Amino acid sequence: MLISVNTFWTILLIVHGLLAIALLGALTHQAMAVLMPVRQSAGGFVTRFRAVPAAGYATAICVLWILTFLMGAWIYTKYRIYVRIPIEQAGYWKTQGFFELKEHAATLGLGLLPIYWYVWKNAHDPEYDGVRKSVTALLAFICWFNFLVGHVLNNVRGFGS
Amino acid sequence: MNTTIATPSTSKSSPRAKAATSSLAASTRFRTFAVAFGIAMPVTYFLCEWFNLPFFTYHPATNRIEFWWAPARSGEGPTMYWYGWTVLSLLVGSVVGLLATMLPDSVSRKIPLALVWLLPILALIPLAYSLMPFWTK
Repeated sequence: MLISVNTFWTILLIVHGLLAIALLGALTHQAMAVLMPVRQSAGGFVTRFRAVPAAGYATAICVLWILTFLMGAWIYTKYRIYVRIPIEQAGYWKTQGFFELKEHAATLGLGLLPIYWYVWKNAHDPEYDGVRKSVTALLAFICWFNFLVGHVLNNVRGFGS
Repeated sequence: MNTTIATPSTSKSSPRAKAATSSLAASTRFRTFAVAFGIAMPVTYFLCEWFNLPFFTYHPATNRIEFWWAPARSGEGPTMYWYGWTVLSLLVGSVVGLLATMLPDSVSRKIPLALVWLLPILALIPLAYSLMPFWTK
């Protein structure tokens, strides 16, 4: 075998994390752009961070969410046995509780993608301005929450630990 | 043009300035599907989790899959229901979404758009509550 089983799952976890980082960056840019639209083109770092063509991110964000979700669902099969059981044995109940909430939030986010994509592809239509802001903010919140929970869990017991 | 100054993310160079060009994005039937899916999916997921109704049960230690809910088997490790809840809620959401596309436009337009983001937030509250054993141990 070219690589060990441990290395294989660690690589998958890293890919999951990298996809999550790309998603986090894209969603944060987009959420900032839609919630705090820039009124003047010149400005500092924060202004430039907000001044992105937000609608152009929509399809990429949907693809990244699905890929990150699928990768997470794949490694979850091993997590259940090799990570969760030791976490419970060590008594990190709240950490595990947050992971359970993370899986619920990820699935609920998946359900938002069709309408999210539609309202961004119709960004010219003011009828969807409110729902566009709300759905984007919710997806960004879920993404940040899931990223931080995943990060803490990896610190507690990542694959190969 | 006012919008150019008000929101650079909606400037001439951004897609905001243009009408939807892809057929899916311009389709009112897809809009109806997306709204109905966005409403049915979180409700179904919440019900699946609350009443433990997975489409299938996965046994990760043995790679065994059983339809609907199944208990853990002695000596075969834990069971996983999340995959079953997710698949069932995606299926129900898709079916409801497809059925909704048969509604007349005048009816489907009356479905409040706010439900698509309100319901997932509301669903998270009881889902977090259902994890009480983890918070109180």
